[in-house]
Amino acid sequence: MTNDSVKLDILKLDAWFGDKQALKGISLRIKPKTVTAVIGPSGCGKSTFIRCINRMHELTPGNKVAGTILLDGADIYNDMDSMDVRRKVGMVFQKPNPFPNMSIADNVVAGLKLIDAADKKELEEMAKENLKAVGLWKEVENDLKKSGASLSGGQQQRLCIARALAMRPEIILMDEPTSALDPASTAKIEELVKALKTETTVIIITHNVQQAARISDMTAFFYLGELIEYDETRSIFESPKSPLTERYITGRFG
Amino acid sequence: MINEVEYVVKINSEIKSMLKIVEDLGENVQVALENGRKGMKDAAFEASVEIQHREEEVTDLCVGSLIRYQPFASDLRSVTVALKVAYDLSRICRYLYNITEVLEEFDVNGCDVSDVSALLKDARSMVSLSLQAYFTKDRSLASDVIKRDNSIDERYRMVLSTQRKSSSEKGDCILLNGLSARIIERMADHACYISNETAYLVTGRRRSYR
Repeated sequence: MTNDSVKLDILKLDAWFGDKQALKGISLRIKPKTVTAVIGPSGCGKSTFIRCINRMHELTPGNKVAGTILLDGADIYNDMDSMDVRRKVGMVFQKPNPFPNMSIADNVVAGLKLIDAADKKELEEMAKENLKAVGLWKEVENDLKKSGASLSGGQQQRLCIARALAMRPEIILMDEPTSALDPASTAKIEELVKALKTETTVIIITHNVQQAARISDMTAFFYLGELIEYDETRSIFESPKSPLTERYITGRFG
Repeated sequence: MINEVEYVVKINSEIKSMLKIVEDLGENVQVALENGRKGMKDAAFEASVEIQHREEEVTDLCVGSLIRYQPFASDLRSVTVALKVAYDLSRICRYLYNITEVLEEFDVNGCDVSDVSALLKDARSMVSLSLQAYFTKDRSLASDVIKRDNSIDERYRMVLSTQRKSSSEKGDCILLNGLSARIIERMADHACYISNETAYLVTGRRRSYR
């Protein structure tokens, strides 16, 4: 992989919760405009891993990070401000978390309002554009003033993705974004993830190995804080090199 | 796969039944070829129909397991390989039927069939061994079967060469030998395909032909 084709270069990443080491020497390179699935049993370090990528891990007192994460060649811990990192690296959580006291439209542009001095008209246009990008516009165009909390779970999750997209992130991290959704809503999110990679790099944590196989280009398997295998998704799911990966994806443990 | 007993065992049981049909038919075709015996065509056709049904059964079981369990890695390979092995056995059975058609078509009295008879015996052995390698996931045995294909190809060309040069053989005998040799050579190819699939099943890597 040449440097030009690397969006995120992670080198010997370690992370701790107090004295407990959660990540051990993780090194991997992520290409731009790809979907990377992160899989592994509970407690293997998946969430810690992506929280290191947008510098959320360090927000909890006592947590530590070591190693290097380069975003387009810039060290996110030494060369960049944490707010810049979080602007470039958006996050979508497991449980949809729209701001309940804000309207649907305001939810989408909430982040923009904090950092940009865009006028009302511009913000309305941005809300529309991003709601369209997540396939929510037609469902809510007549209810833009209603509370974000009035939407269904699947719609709320797409609203949260629209909110993340509005910040024009270069990377979107998703932490089990469909685990609380029904099959139809899950399918919509999966389609959205595949569509997002034309513009953005996506890293998604999932416990659903079938979902990882459906939507990702690359898959990383974590176990006990270590990266066991990282390869093209097809290779991982057809012929994994590590017996541990084989046992995990065939449902023999985890 | 969680319910391996339900699917993999059923699939392999069907494939074993298919192998039994092929081995029994192969033995009968061998005797018929060596003795110039006619009248086997209908029985061979019935066997090929039966094996086709069983191939469909394997397909249904494989599709069922894909839908129910969405298997990955070695579980996934066991399903995709089973589909191919069942298809190859169905083709091999069809080739045996084709030999009975050839026997039916020509006057085979007095023909020297020693070369094609030996060729058929070897091809049948390759089929049995390829399935043994598949069931036991024996990559080394699968590899041995693949190596034997070169000898079959060579002997097939020798049969053609001998028949082409023959001045004493009657036309029916030349056609019997030439057509049978070609059919048997294809049978052996399918034994190799099964062996290639077994190697893939075990290693997860496909043989490169480039």
